[in-house]
Amino acid sequence: MNELTNLSTTVLVDKVSKSFGEFTAVNSLSLEVRPGRIFGLLGPNGAGKTTTIRMIVNITAPDTGQIKIFGQTITPELQDRIGYLPEERGLYKKMKIGEQLKFFAELKNVKGKEAERRIDQWLMKLGLSEWKLKKSMELSKGMQQKIQFITAVLHEPDLVILDEPFSGLDPVNVKLLKGIVLELKASGKTIIFSTHQMEVAEEICDDICLINRSRKVLEGSIREVKGSFSRNSVALRFEGDQGVLNDPALVADIKRNADEIVVLLSEGASAQLLLKRLIESGAVVGKFEMIEPSLNDIFIAKVTETV
Amino acid sequence: MTKFLAIVKREYIQRVRTKLFLFMTILGPVMLMVFTVVPGMLMAVKTEDTRLAVLDQTEGAKLFPVVRDSLMKAGRSSDQSPKAEMVNAVNDTNQQRMEKAGQRFTGGFFVTAVDARSRPLEDLKRELNAKVGGGQLEGYLIIPPDILKNSESKPIYFARNLSDLPSQGQIERALNDAVRRERLTAAGVSAEALERLSKRVDLDVYPVNEKGEEGARRSGMGGFILPFMVAFLIYITVLLYGQVVLGAVVEEKETRIAEILFSSVKSSTLMLGKLIGVSLVALTQLGIWAIAFGALSVGLLQSGGVEDIGVHLPSVFFVYLFIYFALGYFIYATLYVLIGSMVTTTQEGGQVAMPIIFLLMAGLYLAFPVMRSPNSSFAIWISMVPLFSPIVMLVRIVTQTPPLWQIALSMVICAGSIVLLLWLASRVYRVGMLMYGKKATIPEVMRWVRQA
Repeated sequence: MNELTNLSTTVLVDKVSKSFGEFTAVNSLSLEVRPGRIFGLLGPNGAGKTTTIRMIVNITAPDTGQIKIFGQTITPELQDRIGYLPEERGLYKKMKIGEQLKFFAELKNVKGKEAERRIDQWLMKLGLSEWKLKKSMELSKGMQQKIQFITAVLHEPDLVILDEPFSGLDPVNVKLLKGIVLELKASGKTIIFSTHQMEVAEEICDDICLINRSRKVLEGSIREVKGSFSRNSVALRFEGDQGVLNDPALVADIKRNADEIVVLLSEGASAQLLLKRLIESGAVVGKFEMIEPSLNDIFIAKVTETV
Repeated sequence: MTKFLAIVKREYIQRVRTKLFLFMTILGPVMLMVFTVVPGMLMAVKTEDTRLAVLDQTEGAKLFPVVRDSLMKAGRSSDQSPKAEMVNAVNDTNQQRMEKAGQRFTGGFFVTAVDARSRPLEDLKRELNAKVGGGQLEGYLIIPPDILKNSESKPIYFARNLSDLPSQGQIERALNDAVRRERLTAAGVSAEALERLSKRVDLDVYPVNEKGEEGARRSGMGGFILPFMVAFLIYITVLLYGQVVLGAVVEEKETRIAEILFSSVKSSTLMLGKLIGVSLVALTQLGIWAIAFGALSVGLLQSGGVEDIGVHLPSVFFVYLFIYFALGYFIYATLYVLIGSMVTTTQEGGQVAMPIIFLLMAGLYLAFPVMRSPNSSFAIWISMVPLFSPIVMLVRIVTQTPPLWQIALSMVICAGSIVLLLWLASRVYRVGMLMYGKKATIPEVMRWVRQA
């Protein structure tokens, strides 16, 4: 049974801890990344996301606990099956883009004509073909970021780890890369996606793990996570007396947006009761909608809760 | 292996292709010429003759003509063609070589006599001082009347410039010769006997090897010069390429590529790849220089007819020469790798790396006492210290070949140190690169080594 779970798990992190001197970066963290899914590793700055990823790609070793990739302990050969786009990223300034990509391909054991073919293919896909013979210092920051993205996927790895891949990109390029990430998933690749931008994570992740202050706070599929948070907010638009909203037994908090009011219901109060009271008060209701908590709300709630 | 070669290739091609490399390859030898030949030429250049007045107070002013002749002849002796002089320079004995070098630093003299009896000494001195002050004379010499009889008596030289030591030395020598000759003549030695008796004696030198066999007569110069040439070669290569090695190691930290690299290769592969890549660049450049220099000297040899440059060494020595050059270069280069792994920027690394050059120079200085007693326990210990052994052991091999086990041991220690330094550097690098922009302290580095 245990072996079976190992086989069906792309990345298994088992009670892993890592400290730097006095500072504990990761504390007894366990997580499982299932094949063919997009796994969101979420958390505020300094939560331990990058350290966790560095241990997965074998840049640093855990102090305690163990990590298995494709069911095995990491080896240099396994590293070739991983593509990694770190948050701290750079390119050789004076090297031509084509040569640079070839170098990174060779570091992953992709050589010769095959490497050339894939480089041309990817440059075309990201609209950078005409930059192949330019030095990277001549490229804009966004273009460089796309080149770095190519280095992470050029060798067709089974596991792609992207640390804040969209930060600093314009919406058009974010959309382009998002599309590619989804394509990778469709072709059976497993993706670990680390970010603190919850909107993006909500859009593309299948599973998430939220870590804060070196510990895991929350995990599961997006649906499970959202489902575990009760639906207790209502978006409202109405004309009439607003006195009803001042009843603390009914409403815990009010947020006024431009064209709607978001109401957080008090404990024990139901949306049905709110609607009934509003109609009784003679209000004309234009909008009444139960809202799901966004991942952002959950994130903020969880992170502030653990402080 | 693919990964290692990819790193070597990148380091090599990216560096050899730069304009700086081309520029240095062409300019390097030119600069070397400028720094070695030009100062010598400048020293040799003495634009005008030294105008010297001699006030000879001895009876009949007997010393003046002898002093004048020897001074004015010395200055004009170099009427040989430069080529002939070069050939001679190679075939001369050490003593002759020294003398020639001395002559080259001095110019000619124009010597005039001052009649000592015409006027009182005070008047003459005032007049001569005025001439020296006014620039009509460079200096004047007063020879006391009792110099031939009184050994305590001293001649006096007056001049504006007392820093022209080579010229003063020449005056002193001419005067000494003259005085000695006159004193001996006065003691009844004939001119012919004088010539015969004062002939110089030169030492002939023959080597004896460890089996007690005599070798052919030779000069010690070749054995003296070769280890220093190797030391100089190591010095130049480390000086030129140490910083490049350091820069190569720091590069990924500055460009923040290190993290991508480490998700693909082991840090030891990366370090070794970088070291080898840069070293191949150095080898390429030295190779180009060696070929150019070789072609030039073959040309010179053919036209100049220099047959014997005084180097008589067994061919195995040249194998040692190559091995110790390689060991010497790599041990210092890996020191730069280690420093590169600790620092975050090239500038910072440059400062930290300063003492390496001093270590290299220390090796050179240590070679002198070793040359004089190559089998002392001091020499044996020093030749086992990896930082010094490439130079010191070569000196020992040339001067008085030590037992083979000592040579082998020093090589093993050297090679072992290189491996150790690389291993240390790759551990420090691996942990250190995760701390962007933070300068490491020594205790921190020690912890990284244990942590990695």
